[in-house]
Amino acid sequence: MIQTIPLGQVLQETVVTPYRDLVTRPTGAAVRGWIQNAIAQSTAPTTLLDFTGVGLLDFSCADEIVAKLLLDTDPGTDHYVMLLGTREDHTEAIDHVLNHHALAIAVVREPGEPPQLLGRVTPELERVFACVFRLGPGSADGVAEMLGWTLERAADALLTLALLRLVRAEGGTFRPLPA
Amino acid sequence: MTQIAEIPAYFDDRSFDHFAQAFTPWPPEQRMLIDARAAQWASPYGLIGILTAGQALLEARQEKPLFTVPASDDVRRYWARTGFFKHAAGLFEIHGKVPRVQTADDSDHLLDITPVGASEDVHQVVGRIQERAARILNTELGLEAKATMGFAMALSEACQNIVEHAGTSGWVAVHAYNWRKRLGRRVVVIAVSDAGVGFRRSLEATQAKRFGDRWGDAAALEAGLIQGVSRFRDPGRGQGLAGIKRYLSRWDGKISIRSGTARLSIVPKWDDDVPVAEQLPYFPGTQVQIVIPAHEGGAR
Repeated sequence: MIQTIPLGQVLQETVVTPYRDLVTRPTGAAVRGWIQNAIAQSTAPTTLLDFTGVGLLDFSCADEIVAKLLLDTDPGTDHYVMLLGTREDHTEAIDHVLNHHALAIAVVREPGEPPQLLGRVTPELERVFACVFRLGPGSADGVAEMLGWTLERAADALLTLALLRLVRAEGGTFRPLPA
Repeated sequence: MTQIAEIPAYFDDRSFDHFAQAFTPWPPEQRMLIDARAAQWASPYGLIGILTAGQALLEARQEKPLFTVPASDDVRRYWARTGFFKHAAGLFEIHGKVPRVQTADDSDHLLDITPVGASEDVHQVVGRIQERAARILNTELGLEAKATMGFAMALSEACQNIVEHAGTSGWVAVHAYNWRKRLGRRVVVIAVSDAGVGFRRSLEATQAKRFGDRWGDAAALEAGLIQGVSRFRDPGRGQGLAGIKRYLSRWDGKISIRSGTARLSIVPKWDDDVPVAEQLPYFPGTQVQIVIPAHEGGAR
């Protein structure tokens, strides 16, 4: 089950503005508060933040909404956040702030395509992430075999992705996020 | 007795220090007279600098300053169209005829002089400017369409610095014009100014010890603009100026920040400004100028 939060609508509910822009820290903090409340009331393991219809997203608002939402997430919870409907300028702002905090997030793209990763992610991690998306749930063996890596190298990369909350780790099994 | 501050005939960031000199020592000991009679042209930086001076004098509990309007009809009308007199009326005792010109849908003014004091103002500024900015950046400056969003982001972050750090309100204006002498190209200029605490006081509590003997206006600007330091402990802070720098490096722009007695600039190849200017005449608050030049061969 996936929870989708349309940020354009959240903006209209949290800030009195005729505009569609997610700008300023107070606006970002208000929107994040709304999102955290919605997540707390939901049982869905994955939340999609839908940027469709959002105008400008500035760095301050990106930091307040996306970076702080990830920073505030309890590492013990089995809950994941992904993005949807971002434009190129949105992804630039989000990528910038996530890099600053050494965080990362996945953006859902076309059906069948692996999500795009933003933030502090190495090309090596991107390869492993795409591999998990294509293989589906499995252990590090499958990834190591597909990439021609040692098992240790593949396991290290998978654990890093799990720590960044980009894949779900259950025992020795790594699963792509449902989207 | 009055102390006179003459507005230079050509009033922009380069002649600003001449204007600031007239306010030393700060706060002035006598009533100030801002004399704009000889003014022939003023950049948005100059115009909002005048308003900042008026605001700072009132906030320093000085007698309401006097202001004599430009002698030239054309100059007066131009200043009126930018919204200057509308805001100056509350800050100065104005002497001279002020034309009744509505702030116009002038193609050179992407954003008339606008007060910024709260985050709602930033929403208004960003919301109003995007369509016009897209047209001018794309058709007049020859920049790619995606430059518009970065431009609005830079504007948003520059305005937020007033709301977050100044401790008082400020002003923003965005104009497009030809920089024939300095660049030979058309430019868009964002000017943001406030009469607030300035970089040094804003960062003193957390940064002065680290800089030791070097601490001062220039060191504070270096901490804020170059090192991305903020007065807030929140590790996410300081990204606004970093984002502006990233945008400017992509579009060959320039940022210059003057605060107190120093000015720090990130100077592109096309400009001959100095990166750091110290021991300037003191001027209250912070003044920011961002310049986006037309793509070479892209100006119409």
